Amino acid sequence: MNKKITISLLATAITSLILLSLYLVLMQTTQPSQLILRFKATVGNQPLVLHHKSYANPGGDGVFTVRDLQFFISNIKLLGQVGNVSETESYHLVRFDNDDSFYEIVLPNINVQDYQQIELGIGVDPKANGTITIAGDLDPNGRMAWSWDVGYKFLLLEGALINQEQQVPLVYHIGFNSSYTRLTFPIKEAIKSNTTLINFNVDLLHLFNKSNPIDLTNISTVKFDKNDVAVIAQGFESLITLE
Amino acid sequence: MSLSKKIQVTAMLFAVSVLATLYLYFKDKPPPTHLADLTLPFIFGRFQIPVDNPLTAESIILGRRLFYDPRLSSTNKVSCATCHKQHLAFTDGLKHSVGVSGRPLKFNTMSLSNLMWGPRHFFWNGRSASLENQALQPIQHIDEMGQNLDQLVDELRQDNTYPILFKQAYGRINIPAIAKALANFQRTLISSNSRYDQYLRGEITLNTNEELGRKLFMAHPDTKASLRGGNCIDCHSQFLTSGFSTFFDGFSNNGLSNDDNLPPALFEVTGKEQHRGLFKTPTLRNIALTAPYMHDGRFETLQQVLKHYNGGIKRSKTLSPLILEADNISKAQKDHISLNLDDDEEKAIIAFLHTLTDEDFLSNPMFSDPFKSEQVNE
Repeated sequence: MNKKITISLLATAITSLILLSLYLVLMQTTQPSQLILRFKATVGNQPLVLHHKSYANPGGDGVFTVRDLQFFISNIKLLGQVGNVSETESYHLVRFDNDDSFYEIVLPNINVQDYQQIELGIGVDPKANGTITIAGDLDPNGRMAWSWDVGYKFLLLEGALINQEQQVPLVYHIGFNSSYTRLTFPIKEAIKSNTTLINFNVDLLHLFNKSNPIDLTNISTVKFDKNDVAVIAQGFESLITLE
Repeated sequence: MSLSKKIQVTAMLFAVSVLATLYLYFKDKPPPTHLADLTLPFIFGRFQIPVDNPLTAESIILGRRLFYDPRLSSTNKVSCATCHKQHLAFTDGLKHSVGVSGRPLKFNTMSLSNLMWGPRHFFWNGRSASLENQALQPIQHIDEMGQNLDQLVDELRQDNTYPILFKQAYGRINIPAIAKALANFQRTLISSNSRYDQYLRGEITLNTNEELGRKLFMAHPDTKASLRGGNCIDCHSQFLTSGFSTFFDGFSNNGLSNDDNLPPALFEVTGKEQHRGLFKTPTLRNIALTAPYMHDGRFETLQQVLKHYNGGIKRSKTLSPLILEADNISKAQKDHISLNLDDDEEKAIIAFLHTLTDEDFLSNPMFSDPFKSEQVNE
């Protein structure tokens, strides 16, 4: 009888030890190494404050306010000598109306040292743009969807231009497959020492041709006119920069 | 007592306490009967059901009974179904609903359908963040059902049927179980067999007028690209026809009031000035049956609604720039805000809106008054 109890007690102790060590090992391996992409929006050198702050009309008279800025970042890819890794269902709707006034994308289980470059798209790739697939933040019933035969708005910027007491609505709904723009950034320079955070700056003045600024009075709304869309979308190339 | 005896007793006590804990843990757990035969259209997209309220057949049976039971009110005369009538897509046809107090409410009754999708905020001003939370508010509202919840629990415990139904669904009768059951019944109110749905599934074609209306519904006008539009899609999503689910994107100021009369609306919930005058964008499913329209029931017909968007917009500081800017005639707008649609286009949009009527939804026996079918069976 006593022997039996001793054996069962021993067995219990051993099992507990095995479970405890397994738990500790799992805790170790699931300790996430992650990469955080943080996007902050600015208008030139000033931070973007929705609703309450006004900014000079880039190429003309008056000031403008922004009620909303949203855009898609898609198909994030990390390139490294050991191999490349692509995020699955990689569609992120970047927006700035949260309490932090920045937007973060967290890529889990990434050892940053393994990669040299990060690649991402502004907009929605033609394949996903032509379907009603529900993936990531893509939602055919969402605010960024036009309708299933037209696809998605890649970028939405809405606000008002105020000029001599006159208020003109600003509506920029920029889509179309030709606008999809892929950007590449070096990782090493982007990562500040001992962090796993990359800071990106989104300067919306790039949408209005920073080198030869547009007067918003002349182009206050852009939706389906192909030429106007191309004028705004050419700014996607320089819209996002490393901070 | 020998050592081995002591160990035996300890082991037995331990086993008993484990069993007791397990019993207490599972005693109030609902049975794992998950709903198997619920079909959900994939075009409606993702949805979430609270982890602590699985969609079980038992909870839906209970929720349906509660929904139709006037004992939920202080006078035992008003049930949820008093204002949410199935044949009117769960509205009541009144400008302002009337509950136990007899005083007309400030707001128009909202239709109940496809509630698992669209804005995650309920009521016209979005003050409730879940269906469970929403369900208890009209019951307690002094003008709606005026009921004390503890008293309601007592009343339900005295009943012959409820103790069994609650036991099967949630283990016991309490306030959270009432809320959960009502929420789950409402989750099953899915409308997905209108002519528009049949068109989307490729089963039928729309007639010329309806198809013109559909195209106008889905388009924001752009005179530069020669695109005419009714601008509906800017607030009402293409398949659900409700507001958008993200953040407060499903709320809008659609030009019903000028600055002097702008109601607080979503501002009451968020305290943000930019939300003053923004109300929840409702679903348009079965819209032909849910008159009168708008949060205050100010329009009696769809013709009046179209006239509002087509020339009746009032300017205010939070008016949607998408409404302010939408015009089918280039640079026509100065002070007068209008879509500038012609009469035929207005009629076409109304014809399309009628394709959103779902006869199956309006007569589905699963959504009907269970007390009536009990009487028939007796």
